[in-house]
Amino acid sequence: MAIQAAPEQVQVATKPLLHVQGLTMSYGAGDSENKILNDLNLEVNDGEFVSIVGPSGVGKTTLLRCLSGLVQPRSGTVSVGGEIINGPHRDLAVVFQDYSRSLLPWMTTLENVAFPLQGRGVGKKERNETAEKNLAAVGLAGQGHKYPWEMSGGMQQRVAIARALAYNAKVLLMDEPFASVDAQTRFDLEDLVIDLQSSLGVTIILVTHDIDEALYLADKVIVLAEKPATVVDVIETGFGDHRDQVDTKADPRFVEARARILHRLRDH
Amino acid sequence: MTETALRSAPKLETAARARRRPKAQRVRSRPARIVLDVLQRTWLIVVVFAVWWIATAESTNVFIPSLESILVSLFRDLSNGVIASGAAYSLGNLAAGLLIAVAVGIIGGLILGETKRLREIVDPVIHFFRSIPQAALVPLIIGAFGIGQGPKIYTIAFACMWPVLLNTIDGVLGVEPTIRKFSKVYRIPRGLHFRKVVLPAALPQIVAGVRVALPIGITVMVVSELFAANKGLGFYILNSSATFMVPETWAGALLVGVIGYILSLLFIVLERRILSWYFKSGAK
Repeated sequence: MAIQAAPEQVQVATKPLLHVQGLTMSYGAGDSENKILNDLNLEVNDGEFVSIVGPSGVGKTTLLRCLSGLVQPRSGTVSVGGEIINGPHRDLAVVFQDYSRSLLPWMTTLENVAFPLQGRGVGKKERNETAEKNLAAVGLAGQGHKYPWEMSGGMQQRVAIARALAYNAKVLLMDEPFASVDAQTRFDLEDLVIDLQSSLGVTIILVTHDIDEALYLADKVIVLAEKPATVVDVIETGFGDHRDQVDTKADPRFVEARARILHRLRDH
Repeated sequence: MTETALRSAPKLETAARARRRPKAQRVRSRPARIVLDVLQRTWLIVVVFAVWWIATAESTNVFIPSLESILVSLFRDLSNGVIASGAAYSLGNLAAGLLIAVAVGIIGGLILGETKRLREIVDPVIHFFRSIPQAALVPLIIGAFGIGQGPKIYTIAFACMWPVLLNTIDGVLGVEPTIRKFSKVYRIPRGLHFRKVVLPAALPQIVAGVRVALPIGITVMVVSELFAANKGLGFYILNSSATFMVPETWAGALLVGVIGYILSLLFIVLERRILSWYFKSGAK
């Protein structure tokens, strides 16, 4: 988004919204210690759309668990707005991969979206209004009375996105959010997320194993590889706000970037 | 492209099946279906009673009276209020006992299900107590706590609590991990998390536990009135048998069975109502 010609100078001027420093994560201890992430550094600016791409099993999900505060890293820090997080944080919302399991089947769609606000002590009238508004934003106006299991997979994932938006966090973390819907629905959801991001100015970090998706959506693609995982490349896409499923993917810059990522992943 | 085709194939198939299904059902009219349904559910009972009636009609054995004399005693004592007051007393005890069992079982189960450490400590105790035949504890509890109505309610509550408690623990442990992650990430406060996330998620299991507790409660209800009692269905059965009013003894036992059946039917209605999302969503 911002002009990134001289990244160092930009950083001095605007501090990154989300800052990951020297993040190391491992499971187990001693000889059986399994190191997943090694000295990982990331910076995500306010309003930026960042994709994190890497092969399956590289540790993307572990990274997202660290970012969302679900697990504590072995060393290193994750900070949001300058504040080091040590658990789930007010400014971080997550859209889970498995929409059918992350929505509560005993609540209507509206109740599902409003529920996290209830947890924050927002009054019933206000939280329902917020939920209604956000359902409309994802194209589900007037569908709040339905239960999630009465909806298609794509619609359920829209509800999950509305729930994250209603939470009004500064950063939206998305864990392979479109991995379990069909291709056409996936394109629709990708375009929806791009629209939402540019209209609401929310910062999004999306984890995916799909290189095309990562490139198509993001302002910046972070490539993870190696074992334990580390950042092997950062690519500024520079496609701007307007993107098209056909034209953008045929753009020479797109093709070039895809080749570059594939090379990076093959070399490691 | 092929991946897409593969993925959408089963969807198309189920859609086609869903479209076909209502047509197949429409072959028979609704009233006809209900009549068939009732017949299917009742013919066996009718046959059993008919066989019972015929087989015992000429009975001279004091302990096996004719079904006719059993039913005559039953309707006589039902109409003169002898059984009604006893049944009201018994069912009141059952309701109070079940209520306590459900409350303690659910609250205890939620706490134990959520705290691993506590569960590991308490687990052997739970399995010890639930393995004891609950009816055997009745004289002990009545001996210890006295002969009033209270101890009878406690024994019912004690016996009914185990299935509710164990099923609640199971239900809590079975809560979808993604839902737990959601609750954590969105920082749902503990109280709300229990009431609106864990409890509804575990409810299908909890209800199944209560369904198991119901017949246990009825058994213990009757047994509790065999000791130090002067009213209730159990007392009616004991008293008539002690005074060689055998048809009355049979009538009492028959009535308990009928009550149990009616309660289980009512329970199914209740279950459908409080778990409507569960049945409709096809999660079952």
